[in-house]
This record gives sequence, C-alpha cells and structure tokens, in this order.
Amino acid sequence: MMKTIVLLTAWLIAGTAVRAADLPEDQAERAQRWKDLSLQLFGDRKLENGAKFIAIDAPDRAMDAALVPIGVKISGKTGIKALYLLVDDNPVPLAAHFTFGPAADPREMKIRIRLEQYTYIHAVVEGGDGKLYQAARFVKAAGGCSAPAGPSDQALRDLGAMKLQTVATYRPGKTMEVQLHIRHPNFNGMQMDPINRWYTPARYINQADVSYGGQEVFHFEGGISMSSDPAITFGFRPKEKGELTVVAQDSKETRFEHVFPIPLTAAP
Amino acid sequence: MKALLVAALMASAVPEPSGYWTGPNQGDTPMTVAGATVIHTAQLAKLIAKKDKPVLIDVSPAPPPPPDLPPGTVFMPPPHRDIPGSVWLQEAGRGEISGEAEDLYRGTIQRLTGGNLAKPVVLYCHPKCWLSWNAAKRAVSFGYRHVYWYPDGIEGWREAGKGVTSTEVLKQ
Repeated sequence: MMKTIVLLTAWLIAGTAVRAADLPEDQAERAQRWKDLSLQLFGDRKLENGAKFIAIDAPDRAMDAALVPIGVKISGKTGIKALYLLVDDNPVPLAAHFTFGPAADPREMKIRIRLEQYTYIHAVVEGGDGKLYQAARFVKAAGGCSAPAGPSDQALRDLGAMKLQTVATYRPGKTMEVQLHIRHPNFNGMQMDPINRWYTPARYINQADVSYGGQEVFHFEGGISMSSDPAITFGFRPKEKGELTVVAQDSKETRFEHVFPIPLTAAP
Repeated sequence: MKALLVAALMASAVPEPSGYWTGPNQGDTPMTVAGATVIHTAQLAKLIAKKDKPVLIDVSPAPPPPPDLPPGTVFMPPPHRDIPGSVWLQEAGRGEISGEAEDLYRGTIQRLTGGNLAKPVVLYCHPKCWLSWNAAKRAVSFGYRHVYWYPDGIEGWREAGKGVTSTEVLKQ
C-alpha cells in the first residue's frame, strides 16, 4: 500500500513537471520548430507516426548534459533502411544518421549526445517500405554544448584510437551486440577554451563505415551533437570467425581505421 | 549541529569581490550581493504574482558564434527561453562594461521602472553565473533600493516546473 502511494505520488509529480515545463505557447513553438526542421531534412516527405514500434530510451533528466545516452529500439518492422536521431533544440539538430547494410541488425542502436537545453529528441526510421516513421521523447538537460572540453592539446591525445566491447555474447548466426568507442574530442565549436577564453574550432567525427566480412553493417554520418569520444552501440550478425572493420573520418578529413577480430579475444 | 553546518557553509562560500567580477562567467558565486536581496524560486514566484510586478531582467550571455561547419549542415540556433515578461540584455552583467552597454542597461531599467527607484528589480541568468551577480551590483549602484538577485537562474525556474517563453535580445 505504502509503495503504491509512493509510486503514485512520484508519477503525479513527474506528470505535472513534464506538463509545467513548457507554457502552452511554447508547445506550439516546439511543434513549429520540428516542422521547420523536418522540412529542412526530409523536404516534403511525409512523416508517419511510428510511436507504436519505435521506442526511444533516454533519461527523463540527464546527469551530465554533455553525455546523454540515447537508445532506439525498433520492433515489429523488418528491412529497416535508415535511422535519424535529432535533437530539436540543439544548434545542429541532426546528431546521427545511420544507413544499414545487409550485415546489420538495426533493431537496437545507442549513442551518446550533448543537449544544450530541454528538448525533444526525435527518431526517424526509414522502413523497408520506403516510408519515414517518427517518434519523440522529451529530455531535460541543459548546457551540454558549451560545457568546456579541457585544453585542446590534451584532448587530441590518442586521436582516433578505437575500442570494441561486447554487450551480448557471440553466437554464430545470432545478433551480436557491441559498443564501439572512438577516442576523439568531437569539438563542436561552441566550447570555450578555459585558458585562452576563445572558442575551440569545430572538429568532430562526421562519418564512419562499419563492415563485417566485406558486408556493410552501417554507414554513419554524425554532427556536433555527438558527445566527445563518440560511442555507438549496434547489432550485427556474425556468421563464423570474421573481422569487423571500422573506417572513420573527422571533419578535418583525418582518417582512422581499425580491424577487430570476431569473436573478440579477451583483452590481455 | 545546525550551527556547525551553517559555519561550514559560510566557510566554503565564495567571498564577495570588492568590485565587479571580471573572471570567467561560470563558476561558484557568493551567497550575497551587497545592497541587494538574494531570492529563490518560491520568493520570485510570489513577487511576480503581486499586482505591482517586479522588473525582470535576464542577463544571459550571447550564444557562441556559428561554428565552422561543412556546407549543407542544417544549422538552426534554438530560441532563448526565459521567465515570461523578462527583458534580455546580454551585456549588462559584464565585469568591464562598455559605455554603450551601461547606457542601455541604465536606460532600460529607467524605462521599465518608470524612474521609480523603489520598484523591485530582479536580475538573473543561469545557475553559477556571475553576470547576474554583476548586474545586480550595478543596479544597486544606479540607486535602485529593491534589487533582487535570483541565482537559481533560468534552469532553477524550470526545475521548479515553472514555465518559460522564448525571447529576443534587446538591442539599442
């Protein structure tokens, strides 16, 4: 009984807070911004309601606005072609755009992003039918874009070093879930250097190609909304022993490549 | 026990600088501004609910300039949102203020208060932001007798579940 009351109270508070976070005119303005934004990115292509099969996993209130984990789960649709992740109220809203290849299992993707202010996150999925489906979620965090990144010489150490971690166990023929980390400050051009008090120029991972055994897993295009040291969690279907190749590039056209044996050998 | 806690808080607090703060905008701020009153969300909400509404001035800094991005990148700076009924002045809280910005600040308060030095004036920006501290000190120097500093800022207001609206910066 006590537990029910506590839960109910928590739910009531959360419910009120979400509704009170914006004035009605703000809701209209947010809807208008999404309209403008989707027009810029998708032109006049229709966006269908995908709330039934797209689930966005995000903290309601993020601990660190410069490092907010966002996950997208897609259920009950096959032949997913692409996924877009958008942060409505970031200056460059398109955080990530994935197009999937034959070796991908696109049903679950995770990234880490920066949030400048309380905002809607939109996930747009391009289905096998060629249609676009959208879902949204409101997330509370602020200041992630201007959070200082530390002196740039330190931030550029080991630039492009990569790590791959197994999230779910490897079984040939089944989906294997892994997290890819790329060491990179992902400077967004809005972070003030604490020493010279000027803005560190933008430099960030803007594309990556991941393939397994010569087959494409995904092509990624990213913007400055991705957190420093970009991390992407994804699924792919390994057949037997093979190699996962990652080729990434940053906005200064520096190329980074790494080959990981699958199954992953334990770190020494 | 309570006295100890208060003493510990006092000891760890940042002392008020004698003049305006000219260091980084973001950082731990003092708990007081000489000549002004520090208020938090409940008190601010009460002030706003009064018939004789206070003058609300948001002194948040200007957003960073557009970064160098590849052509074709969709760049859409988000709107600035603050407490409804506020005026946004980007330069009013600078440690070293230009004559022009100071005139704009002085003139704006004068206009909004109708020259009434007893009218309540509230200054805010973001949490841990020295700009509103400076702006409050400056409003005291202009002769206003009821200057309020709201250090919780825009995020504190939103955290309490209060509404914000988008606004444009006030220029000359």
